[in-house]
Amino acid sequence: MGIEIRQITKTFHQFTALKEVSLTIPDGQLVALLGPSGCGKTTLLRIVAGLEVANSGSILFHGEDATFQQVRERRVGFVFQHYALFRHLTVFENVAFGLRVRPRSQRPSKEIIKSKVNELLKLIQMQELADRYPRQLSGGQRQRVALARALAVEPKVLLLDEPFGALDTKVRKELRRWLRRLHETMHITSLFVTHDQEEAMEVADLVVVMNEGQVEQVGTPDDIYENPASPFVYQFIGHVNLFHGRLQTGNVRIGDLDITLDSHTEVHQAPVVAYVRPHELEISRESESTSIAVTVNSIHLLGPMVHLELLPQNSTEVLEAELTKEYYRQLRLQKGDKVFVKPRKMRLFMGGK
Amino acid sequence: MLLKTHSVIPGFHLALGFTLLYLCLIVLIPLSTVFLKTTTLTWEQFWLAVSAPRVLASYRLTFGTALLAALINAFFGLLVAWVLVRYSFLGKRFIDAMIDLPFALPTAVAGIALTAIYANNGWIGRYLEPWGIKVAFTPLGIIVALTFIGLPFVVRTVQPVLQDLEVEVEEAAVSLGATRWQTFYLIILPNLWPALLTGFALAFARGLGEYGSIVFIAGNMPMVSEIVPLIIITKLEQYDYEGAAAIAVVMLIASFILLLIINLLQWWSSRRYH
Repeated sequence: MGIEIRQITKTFHQFTALKEVSLTIPDGQLVALLGPSGCGKTTLLRIVAGLEVANSGSILFHGEDATFQQVRERRVGFVFQHYALFRHLTVFENVAFGLRVRPRSQRPSKEIIKSKVNELLKLIQMQELADRYPRQLSGGQRQRVALARALAVEPKVLLLDEPFGALDTKVRKELRRWLRRLHETMHITSLFVTHDQEEAMEVADLVVVMNEGQVEQVGTPDDIYENPASPFVYQFIGHVNLFHGRLQTGNVRIGDLDITLDSHTEVHQAPVVAYVRPHELEISRESESTSIAVTVNSIHLLGPMVHLELLPQNSTEVLEAELTKEYYRQLRLQKGDKVFVKPRKMRLFMGGK
Repeated sequence: MLLKTHSVIPGFHLALGFTLLYLCLIVLIPLSTVFLKTTTLTWEQFWLAVSAPRVLASYRLTFGTALLAALINAFFGLLVAWVLVRYSFLGKRFIDAMIDLPFALPTAVAGIALTAIYANNGWIGRYLEPWGIKVAFTPLGIIVALTFIGLPFVVRTVQPVLQDLEVEVEEAAVSLGATRWQTFYLIILPNLWPALLTGFALAFARGLGEYGSIVFIAGNMPMVSEIVPLIIITKLEQYDYEGAAAIAVVMLIASFILLLIINLLQWWSSRRYH
């Protein structure tokens, strides 16, 4: 068992940041805490680290209760969004810090510290820059130093707070892959906070989607994308089209469309919302009984994919569709064309207007 | 062909010219007259004037008390700045405003008030008397007065730097296993060091030149509690302008050397990460 979070509640004055959050982080996995800003993900991470104290609940590391342990007793590696490097120390001294501050009885000898720090610098590919000061490094290098510094103390768990948030897109992507490779070689139970769904999907073994102080869904990236557990997760992960309709004894009626379901035959009358991903909308020139007539509003060519904005005839809500460039050429689409769309796949949630 | 480089802010030549002229008028010319005045003395006369036993004692007293007061201020000023930045409490703004009072108060008022309090029948002095501690009319009184005068320097130089320190850096240190004390002296103190040195230098320099408050509390006994500025004034009152200028020259050179050393220290400590 890696990290166990049990019924954690945290309030700041009137504001409830976390509501009885329970979560299990499996041993040796890289887990992403994903959510919009203000959802409580950073607060949860800081509580796990011991930098913040929860109102109630408990934290266990590898089965051992850590709720009342001080930060320095928890042996967590913490990586901050803005690096938080010691600017008066060199790269080498930054990484060595955690070893040097150990009580004399546990402190390794100078030679061991030196070889260990050099090993870590090799790991982050910064051996040549050991004598530099943080201000002489780029953002990506600084964050790698911060990571090496956290790893030097051989932490039981590694916690990363938006580690790539302050970097530009290219460096971000590089570091993301590098972190993934690093995790594959070291297998430290890691928890990282991000608001970037792409980042969470690419790096993590397991994604925890949070919203308003609660966990919405826990699953593998693929699971989260394919089977979102709630409308929130659906909307937060990737783009989505919403269709409002009514459910009537196993039949869904959306505008002029009639779709027969296998389930929900017991429901007589209920409003539903259908969620369809842009790539799940099929476009054709010919009308079918289950298709919606739309006008092509705009066309964006994004590399191999084509992004369309479609305006349904009897609605002002724009639909988004995605198709391959090949198929787009085949259809010979033009702005203002009248075409028909039909959802290939959809997911219904009760409620809505 | 080299292109002429242009600064974003225009008027470099004008601004520099003005700065040099201004410094000449305000600092350099008045100071150089002190040197000029001493040239009327022979080397022998000069040496006699600046090395009289009474004068030597006053050098020791002035530099010693200014140094001790600046050290006290460096320590307690840091503490005051720390409390003002890190904690919030009732009346914090009031205390923050009070720090500047020693700047504004006429020094004579400070001297008289401190003398009244620390005299052997004063508010505090009467409780110190049974312990055999005499503050007023002794070198100790001078240190008290200089500590009072110099307090704002350290607080006001350290405060903004302390405010700019990221809390995250301390959290990082703690998460790496540092104790509170280790976090303070390994992480916080090195960052404050340049500012602390500046504050110390300012308080020290202020202490060397202080006159107004000390003449009231020191008692001004020759060889014991007579400061250099007082000797200069005494010489002036006896129309010994050359003697006064000679002592002033020694003070000037000594102060300049000491401040230069402090500045070098500061440059050395801040060069690494600023």
